[in-house]
Amino acid sequence: MKLAVLVASGRHPVSDATVLARLDAQAIRLAADLARSVGGRTFGFHAGPDPEALRQALGRGLTQAEHLALPEGADPVPALAARLAAMAPDLILAGRRGQGGDESGLVPYALAEALGLPLIADVVALAAGDAAGTVSLDQSLGRGVLRRVVARGPLVVTVHPDAPPPFAYAYGQARRGTLARLESGPVTAGGEGLALEERPYRRRPKLVKGAPTGGSAAERLKAATGEAGTAASGRLLVGPDPEDAAREILSHLRQIGVLAPPPSA
Amino acid sequence: MSRLRRDPRAERAAQQVANPDGTSPRPRYDRTQRATGGRPRRDPRAERAGQRVAGGARPRYEIGHVSRGEGPAVAARPMAVAEAAPPKILVVEAPAFLVAVVPDAAGGRLSAHDRQVLGAARALAGREGGVVILAPEACEGIGPAGADRWIRFGDEVAGYDPAARAGRLAAALAALDARHVLFPESLDGGDLARRVAARMGAPLFSNAEVVAANGVIRPARGRRVEQRAVPGLLTTVAPDAVAEYGGPPREARPLAVDATPVAVPAGPILSATRIPADPATVPLTLADFVTAAGNGIRDLDTFRHLVTALRATPGASRVLCDAGLMPRQTQVGASGTVLAATCYFALGISGAPQHLQGVAGCEHVVAVNTDLHAAMIERAGLAIVADAQPVMDALLRRLAAEANGMGEAP
Repeated sequence: MKLAVLVASGRHPVSDATVLARLDAQAIRLAADLARSVGGRTFGFHAGPDPEALRQALGRGLTQAEHLALPEGADPVPALAARLAAMAPDLILAGRRGQGGDESGLVPYALAEALGLPLIADVVALAAGDAAGTVSLDQSLGRGVLRRVVARGPLVVTVHPDAPPPFAYAYGQARRGTLARLESGPVTAGGEGLALEERPYRRRPKLVKGAPTGGSAAERLKAATGEAGTAASGRLLVGPDPEDAAREILSHLRQIGVLAPPPSA
Repeated sequence: MSRLRRDPRAERAAQQVANPDGTSPRPRYDRTQRATGGRPRRDPRAERAGQRVAGGARPRYEIGHVSRGEGPAVAARPMAVAEAAPPKILVVEAPAFLVAVVPDAAGGRLSAHDRQVLGAARALAGREGGVVILAPEACEGIGPAGADRWIRFGDEVAGYDPAARAGRLAAALAALDARHVLFPESLDGGDLARRVAARMGAPLFSNAEVVAANGVIRPARGRRVEQRAVPGLLTTVAPDAVAEYGGPPREARPLAVDATPVAVPAGPILSATRIPADPATVPLTLADFVTAAGNGIRDLDTFRHLVTALRATPGASRVLCDAGLMPRQTQVGASGTVLAATCYFALGISGAPQHLQGVAGCEHVVAVNTDLHAAMIERAGLAIVADAQPVMDALLRRLAAEANGMGEAP
């Protein structure tokens, strides 16, 4: 089984240095675990001017990586699509969003469209399926709820932050890994086709939950301080009988909906 | 003409009361008797009472009404009956352009995020435009949320096939010819928007935090810069960034589009099953219902049984984690985990400020504590001032009785 991992060039949130994004490192771990269990090989790919993130990825579980050299601002999708079509991997993994760039998360989708492959988004676990050539993927639906999808490869898969944490960086592995540089063919200009105007980020006021739309300032203050919430209409029982307290608690929890109704009801 | 001259002696003589028995040399006068002639004496209390409007618990006075004290009180005016007249439904008969919204509508219900996207669409549509929502049949409350038109979409296929759904949506959007299409930037909505963008080859403005007719704004490069663009065809709206629609309800008139049915080949997905979260193993940050123990709990075995019986995720205060009685990853608070749970059930936790920081995001709080003045009791929606130990025992007894099919115990 051949597994390809797309590694983006991430930016450190504080130092602005080029780093391997955590999501990409998680994707490498998922791929490495699957390759170890079914006997396969993992390849890393990066299309861009700077292979620094790929070099760091070698220390986090990748053994082989290819750097498709592109000038700054070029579209990475055609180069990646050409290389991956030639290699024909069974799975292509990528993080669901980049880190430090536009963070639009469009590259895996554009690549899947270019290669004509199906895409499964927000995966947190990977395993080989029961039938040959199938993969079992666990998709995150939020709050720990999963959707287990069994699909036939080849597939493009994006990785969700709830996936297992990445491997720790190992210096020896990073030295042993091989990093090849490939010159790519014709270059097309990147960007998303949007005319963007940039300026420093300005924080905007948060929406206050529970505040009525178009309400007065007093109503917004009430909602912000929690006076209008559950605490305002809260019930207080001082020194009740434990049985009464238990009944009150259970009925309150059922009213909220976090506790299932009694089986006999 | 001059006024008659007063004669005080004669007035007093007229007020003099005859001495009944003639024993007292002191003359007696009846001062309440009105003097003949002269102006009548004012009675401010009676005048005020005369101005009072009858009816209503709170006194109301008709100030313009001049009362001499003898006139009848102003009759109670019929109070305007506070009838809840149904708000007028706004109708956009011929919208100049359309703004389409594709909500998640998980389970046939609009989420808060979906409503915010509808609010953003209303802001884009303005007075002339119309908002059209592409929602399944059973979706409720789309008119009050701001939708002018409704296209039935999304309840044809039961299984999970996002590529086919994106294909059908792209066909419907092509037939609809909307000026803007908005998606929620959620797990499913963001996925669908990117699939549609890749299929249509149109640029996608993702994660917009400001949506207005003159520009949409999103953060970029780790929130160092923000990017502004004129609203394009496809936009996804960030959660909790745009206010919901607050105006009068819209009509949500059904609209039919003749989208050419797209023949989508059978996808690669062989099966898809939903696995509910296991509360015992789910990380605390993702948990929906957390039951936490504090220093007021002595018997942690009972607590663990209770957590299992309630199907909750266990949590603990810093004191218990420091003492080694609960694992460190269960710690709730500033130095532990900040929760995003729906309900937090605190047993024997007084609520230090650092602990309350971890609970700030929880929607409902239930607290059991012996101290009436504890901060956690103040924060809780249901607060019980009692020792947690007998309450835990009673809860376990009750849950066991329900599980045995004895139903609601008396």
